[in-house]
Amino acid sequence: MSGNPFDSDDDESAGSGEILEGFLCPICRADLKSIDMLTDHFARQHAEEEATLKTIKDIFVKAKKKILNNFEDERVAGGAASSGATAASAASKNGNGDPKGPSNARSRMNVFNHMSKQQPGAECSHFEYFQSVRNPRLERYASETNKLIIRLHRLLKDMPTDSVQRRQHEQQTVAWLDGSSVKLCPSCAKSFHIARRQHHCRLCGGIMCNDCSKFLPLEDAMQLASLSTTRSEPLQQLHQNERAIRLCEHCLWLLDTRRDMHESRTCRPLLMQVYEQIRQLQKEVTPDLDMYLKIINSLNDGDTIFTLADAGALRGKIGQVAEAMDMRSKRILAIFCEPGSREEALKKAIRLGCIKTIKDRMLSLPPLPDEEYIRQMQERRRRETEQRILTEQRMAMEAFERRNQAAKMAGGSAPGPESGSFAQGTDLQSLNNWSAPQAATKVSLDDPLIEQINIIKGYIKQARQDMNFEVVETLELNLRELQREVYERQRQSQGSFPASPSEA
Amino acid sequence: MNLISGIKLYIDKMCSESGPGMKIILLDKETTSIISMAFSQSDMLQREVYLFERLDSGRSNERLKYLKCIVFIRATKQNIQLLANELRNPKYSAYYIYFTNIIPRTDIKYLAECDESESVREVKELYADYLCVNPNLFSLNLPCCMANLNWLPDALTRSMQGLTAVLLSLKLNPVIRYRAGSQAAQLLAKQIYEQITKESSLFDFRSNIDGAAPPLLLVLDRRDDPVTPLLHQWTYQAMVHELLQINNNRVDLSDRPNVPKDFKELVLSGDQDEFYGNNMYSNYGEIGSTIKQLMEEFQRKANDHKKVESIADMKNFIESYPQFKKMSGTVQKHLCVIGELSGLSNKRNLFEVSELEQEIACKAEHSAQLQRIKKLIADERISIEDSLKLVALYALRYERHANCDTSGLLQIIKSRGGRAAVVPALVEYAGTHVRQGDLFNMVRITDAVKLTRNLIKGLKGVENVFTQHTPLLKETLEDVFKGRELDPQFPAINSELVPFRRPPQEVVVFIIGGATYEEALSVHQLNNAGYRVILGGTTIHNSQSFINEVLAATNGIQFKHTKSMIKYCSTDNI
Repeated sequence: MSGNPFDSDDDESAGSGEILEGFLCPICRADLKSIDMLTDHFARQHAEEEATLKTIKDIFVKAKKKILNNFEDERVAGGAASSGATAASAASKNGNGDPKGPSNARSRMNVFNHMSKQQPGAECSHFEYFQSVRNPRLERYASETNKLIIRLHRLLKDMPTDSVQRRQHEQQTVAWLDGSSVKLCPSCAKSFHIARRQHHCRLCGGIMCNDCSKFLPLEDAMQLASLSTTRSEPLQQLHQNERAIRLCEHCLWLLDTRRDMHESRTCRPLLMQVYEQIRQLQKEVTPDLDMYLKIINSLNDGDTIFTLADAGALRGKIGQVAEAMDMRSKRILAIFCEPGSREEALKKAIRLGCIKTIKDRMLSLPPLPDEEYIRQMQERRRRETEQRILTEQRMAMEAFERRNQAAKMAGGSAPGPESGSFAQGTDLQSLNNWSAPQAATKVSLDDPLIEQINIIKGYIKQARQDMNFEVVETLELNLRELQREVYERQRQSQGSFPASPSEA
Repeated sequence: MNLISGIKLYIDKMCSESGPGMKIILLDKETTSIISMAFSQSDMLQREVYLFERLDSGRSNERLKYLKCIVFIRATKQNIQLLANELRNPKYSAYYIYFTNIIPRTDIKYLAECDESESVREVKELYADYLCVNPNLFSLNLPCCMANLNWLPDALTRSMQGLTAVLLSLKLNPVIRYRAGSQAAQLLAKQIYEQITKESSLFDFRSNIDGAAPPLLLVLDRRDDPVTPLLHQWTYQAMVHELLQINNNRVDLSDRPNVPKDFKELVLSGDQDEFYGNNMYSNYGEIGSTIKQLMEEFQRKANDHKKVESIADMKNFIESYPQFKKMSGTVQKHLCVIGELSGLSNKRNLFEVSELEQEIACKAEHSAQLQRIKKLIADERISIEDSLKLVALYALRYERHANCDTSGLLQIIKSRGGRAAVVPALVEYAGTHVRQGDLFNMVRITDAVKLTRNLIKGLKGVENVFTQHTPLLKETLEDVFKGRELDPQFPAINSELVPFRRPPQEVVVFIIGGATYEEALSVHQLNNAGYRVILGGTTIHNSQSFINEVLAATNGIQFKHTKSMIKYCSTDNI
């Protein structure tokens, strides 16, 4: 089946003289249906065309310049010839000219990708309404519970051990309801008589029968009232029956809820602590993983910013973290719990997740490349660079000769180029012109640049030891810049004209 | 317009909103399927979701107060009640509640009243209320949506909810068109329209601001095209579904002999399985050669690993082990599936059957085809189900033909012990009296454009006899994108949005009575050609499930259009 199902139909419509409209590509006139498609199509199909167009244009421009011996061109060429760096930069400018098309295209592609990236769908939160219903209720409960806790505190603070005194104390703290008119238990509706006596909730004073009474152990009560249990030694001597507080169901429920909420906020079992350690480790190792991949890539490209030892060290570190994670997840698994419980399932799942992370993210890292291979890559890269520099120089030389010829032909009538080249030169040196006179003699040890280089080298060493490879990278790049600078100045001070082959 | 990423983004949102920490997720039956279509268990582990539980299972009372709980459920009465019970007795420290659809305010109020320990931290609607099968195919898992040829009320509500969720998750506020003359389609379109009008603030996407034509929601009826689900398919995904059945991206091979133990249940997800993702639309033959390539590559690697001699070799092996293992798993899995498929096709002589099926669906040659059908269905090597499908296709195609001999064919089916009652039911369900559009290319002589197009098609010849048929849906969509006049066939319910002669940029198609993977393939091709189409159905049918749905939908009604087949009808329908 054909890629475009409407091929034949499109022909038909064109044949019938229909006017084409829509998102037409200006080059091939295809209808692309939407702006996204058109942009994408243009970027993909015509990127190369754009590039070729550009190169063709460049060729024309160059040819024109050569033929006409353009004044402007002379200036540029002269300037370029006067310093290797300008030549290089000019060449790189020319070099940049060509890929401009594709690079543009790439950015357009990125835009397209970005646009096709899906937004999360619609959503609608009801939490505000939920809170507006919930919170007033909770506040009411909260104030009620607070009242109970204050009472509990007073009740327990100096509770007498003697049962009669205790009863008195209790009645003083909370007024008991008058039970004379209450014939039935309010919660179970059974009548009170000799065998079923009235009882009072110690916190609200309400009436109920013994069956409907709930008991809060004294220890728990002390905890709720935030009194320490040790302080009230005498309570320990109380009779078993008396070591609890009689409550109605509602009061007990309020107190229980409060305790639950408190617990769930402060609960931090061993499992949770170990788990947090694992997460922390995982979080810390993530940038290392990315860095490692970056180092391996740069090594494989023959870059010299990082060394094989760096990669090895980092790999070792990642391995250690993986081991630590593995150990901790095993420790979680070893924590005792009921077999078949939810906790057991949780622990197994955590372990599984850990193993998965370690396997997928840490063990599947690409291996260290061979030393031999890296050397080859570096060698190749060096050769390539040399080659490039040589060609650039040759071009610069040609340009220089042409200029000379032009100068001869034009006689003395063209002082422009001279001044132009001069301007270019000073322009270039303006970066370091403050030190230019000194550099002209020789590079002394107390040159601030050299000093700087040494300092940076020290920093790099330190950063390597700390395995802070991001810093290493930036420092290495700085170092290179500085070294080039120094070299540049040295070369200028010697005044030798054609640049020597390598720049670093 | 990618349904899978739509769901994924929602689930990601849920997991990230609850912050760091261990999590449990509470689901119901449907949301379990929804989540499993988008993410595997290990994906969820990466998001710190360690436990999965069903809200409706009889769960233990064990409390784990250091867990956060994500609740992801449909907003049904039963779920609300269960959730209320859970909130009264919270087992976890914090609850983040997400409903898959629009929820009434009274339910929220009820839940708020139950949250006495202040454990709820979020209540939200995230519209992940459909099963994403492919990036542009969704299903609602409603195997039967009709009774007495009309909507089952629950199925209607579910379809309305599922479709609104699709629209909301893709942020579309569409023109709604439905198949004229189909009561079911009209009813669904109306309900969706009412929902959109009611929740107009939700649907305010301001998409029309740049003057683009609004998207289109097209509600179709399976009864327009009963042929597509009956045909045997030869693309990978469709073929697996036809022969082995795909259920929520899972294939159950447990009753097959000779299947290794690890492959009793296979997950086929284009999102997680790269091979499947690349090949689910490939033809059977292509798959074979791709598998072969994969095998060779695999063997090469395996050979590489066999000569583990030095320590360095061993290290190498360990280092590439995860990928190695992953790849070997994929190869074996698909090899196993393809093996099953080829076994079944040979056993059932599917090439022969399929060729005739395609002929009947695409060409009108009554007497020749009748002879071939008679020969094939009398053949014992052809399974009775395949024979039945052939007769069904014949009955649909030549329903009004002067020499139509459906009863004769049914006699043979009956003598072989087949379910002859299927054929009259099918004709009743989707015979010429209900169909619209030219299912069999029976064009009136006046329609010159179509006539020439058919002529050109005929001249071009057929590339592949097994894939001649293209579903009616494709033609419909082509008309839509060309901006042809749609009103007579597909009237719009909210015609104030309809732009003047401009085709829509985005189309969502929904087929009441189930979509098929063949139609999914057509939609996929359209998407490749730069159109943006999404297909959905009450379910994804293969021929068996379609026949079952037809029987369920026609059960108990009186047949009016199949008097000639009356002696083969089941007793309920007379």
